[in-house]
Amino acid sequence: MTDTLPAREDTRGREGDAPGPRTRSVPAGPLALALAAALLAALTVAVSRGSTAIPAGEVWGVVLRRLSGEAPRPGTDDLIVWQLRLPRALLAALVGAGLGLCGTAMQALVRNPLADPYFLGISNGASLGAVAAIVLGLGTGGALGLGLSGAAFAGALATFALVWTVARRREGFAPLRLVLAGVAIGQFLSGFTSYLVLQAGDEQQTRSVLFWLMGSLSGASWPLLAAPAVAVPGALLWLLARARGLNALTMGDETAAGLGVDASRLRRELFTLTSLLTGVLVAVSGAIAFVALMVPHACRLVVGGDHRRLLPLSALFGALLLVVVDIACRTAMDTQELPVGVVTSLIGAPALLYLLDRRPGSVR
Amino acid sequence: MRIDIEDLHVAYAGRTVVAGARLIAADGEITGLVGPNGSGKSTLLRTVYRHLTPHAGRVLLSGTDLRRLAPAQAARHVAALPQERGGDFELSVHEVVAMGRTPYKRAFAGEDATDREIVARALADVGMTHHTGRRFSELSGGERQRVLLARAFAQQPDVLVLDEPTNHLDIRHQVELLALLRAARRTTLVSLHDLNAAASVCDRLHVLHDGRVIASGPPRQVLRPDLLAEVFGVRATVVDHPLTGDPLIAFDHRRPAGGPVPEPGPRDHVPT
Repeated sequence: MTDTLPAREDTRGREGDAPGPRTRSVPAGPLALALAAALLAALTVAVSRGSTAIPAGEVWGVVLRRLSGEAPRPGTDDLIVWQLRLPRALLAALVGAGLGLCGTAMQALVRNPLADPYFLGISNGASLGAVAAIVLGLGTGGALGLGLSGAAFAGALATFALVWTVARRREGFAPLRLVLAGVAIGQFLSGFTSYLVLQAGDEQQTRSVLFWLMGSLSGASWPLLAAPAVAVPGALLWLLARARGLNALTMGDETAAGLGVDASRLRRELFTLTSLLTGVLVAVSGAIAFVALMVPHACRLVVGGDHRRLLPLSALFGALLLVVVDIACRTAMDTQELPVGVVTSLIGAPALLYLLDRRPGSVR
Repeated sequence: MRIDIEDLHVAYAGRTVVAGARLIAADGEITGLVGPNGSGKSTLLRTVYRHLTPHAGRVLLSGTDLRRLAPAQAARHVAALPQERGGDFELSVHEVVAMGRTPYKRAFAGEDATDREIVARALADVGMTHHTGRRFSELSGGERQRVLLARAFAQQPDVLVLDEPTNHLDIRHQVELLALLRAARRTTLVSLHDLNAAASVCDRLHVLHDGRVIASGPPRQVLRPDLLAEVFGVRATVVDHPLTGDPLIAFDHRRPAGGPVPEPGPRDHVPT
C-alpha cells in the first residue's frame, strides 16, 4: 500500500524501530524518583526549620522512635516535631498532591488545559460554610479545628448538589455549561461570604476569617490529616484506573465514544470526584490559589499529556511545591506567618504568565 | 463484517435529524454517505460509533445490534474518525495512536510489546513513522488526519467510520488520505462533502436528504443530473474522468438549479 504514498514518506525509516516520544527530554520515571526524593528532603527541612531549629538527624530520630512505638524522649523536641511541625508538613504535602490531582482531573473534565477546580464553585461553598461557622460562633475557639472543617465540607457538598442540579442536562454535563454554572454559583456564594465577613463582631474573628479565605495550613493536627490521607491516595488510584479514559476525553467526547469510553458517565464521575476532593482540601486548608491550575499545566509541558504519567507527577510536584511554599510562609517573617495562599498567588500568577509564553503555539 | 442500518431515527438537540434511514455498508467495501449540509450524515455516523443513541431503529454489525455490546467490545469492531480536532493537551503522535488500544486494555495495564508493534505498524501504514515524537497539536491538518487514521487502525477494527475526513485539507492531502482508505481494504463507512471524491473512492453511495436515504447504489447509478439538481440544488452533468474513467461531475458554478439566469457579462466565479 505504500506505493500510494509520496516518496518522501518512506515508511520503514532508520528510526522506525524506536517509536517513543522524542520531543520530551525528561523521562517520567527518573523524574518521579527525583521529585519523591526532593519531597522527602523538603519534608525534613520543613520539620527542622522554624523558631527553634532542630537538626535533621534529630527530626528523623523523633519520627523513627514514634513510628517504632518506643516511648518518646521527654523534652520539647518531640512536642515540636511530632505534634506541631510534622502534621503541618504532611498536611502541606497531602493538600499539594490533592490540588495537583484536582487540577489534572478538572482540566480533563472540561477539556481545557487551563481550568481550575475552583471554577466549580465548590471552594466558595466551603468558604461560606467555614466563615459562617466562625462568624456565627459554631467553630469553637476560632482556630481551624475539626468543627470548622466539618462546616466547610458541608458547604462544599451543598454547593456540589446545587451546581449539579443547575448544570445538568439530559445529555450530561457540557464543559462550558458546567464552568459557567460553577463560576456563577461560586460568585453568588462569595457574596454571602463577604456579607458575613462584614458582620464579623470583632477584629480577631475578621482575622481568622481572612486567614481561612486566603488558604492556610496553620490548623494542622493529626486528626485533621485523616480525611485528606484517605481522600488523596484514593483519588490518585481512582484516576489512574481511568487514565486512558481521561486521555480519550481530552480529544473529545466523540473520540472517547469511538474508543469505547462512556464520556458522559466519566465526566459525571470526574465532576463528583473533583468536587469531593476539592471539598476535603478546602475544608482542611482553605482555598489555596493557583496550585491546582499551575501544577498539572507545568507537568504537562515537561512529560506530556498522557495521564498515566501526568497524574502521579502532578501529585508529587504539587506536594513538593506546597511543602516548600509553606516553609517560606513560616520562616519569611520573624513576627508572623503568611497564609500559604498569599504566597502561591504571588508566585503562581507570574509563573502562569511565563508558562503561557513557553507554550508552543501559545495563547497570544 | 458489514453494517446494516435499519429504520434509524435519531433526535439531536431536540430535533429529529435522522428519520428512518436504512443503509448497508457491505463487507470490504467503501460505502460513501453524501448529502447537503444538515442532511443528517454526521448524526447517522455518530450513531454508528455510539456517540448518539437512536430513539428508534438499529445499527447491526453483521447481524448483532451494536447497542447490545459493551462499549469497549463495540470499539474493538468499529473505529471512528470524528470531526473533532482534539484539545491542546500536549499529547505526542505516539500517544494519540496508542489511544487506539484503549478498548483492549484493562485499568492500570501498560503498553506491552504487542501494543507497541500494532502502533508502529499503524504509523507505518499512514507514513507517519518519522513523526512519532512530535506533538499532535503542532501537526498540519493532513498529518493530523493521517495520525487519527492510524489511531483507528491501531484499534484493529472490522469497520472504519469516518466523518468528512478530508474537510479542511488541501487537495494533495485529500488524495493521500483517500488513497490510504482504499489501500486499507476494510469495511468503511465514510461521509464526504466532495462528490467527485466520493465517486472515485466509494464502491457504493447512499444519498441522504432530510434524514432519509433517498438513493443507494454504485456512484455512476446514483449521481445523476436530476438527483444532483433535486438534492443538492445544482446544475451538473456527469462525464467520464479522462484519467481514471470514474464518473466526473462537472458542476455549473454560474447558477444553481432552477436559479436565475446569470446577468450578462464575464463572471468567473459566483461569490458564496
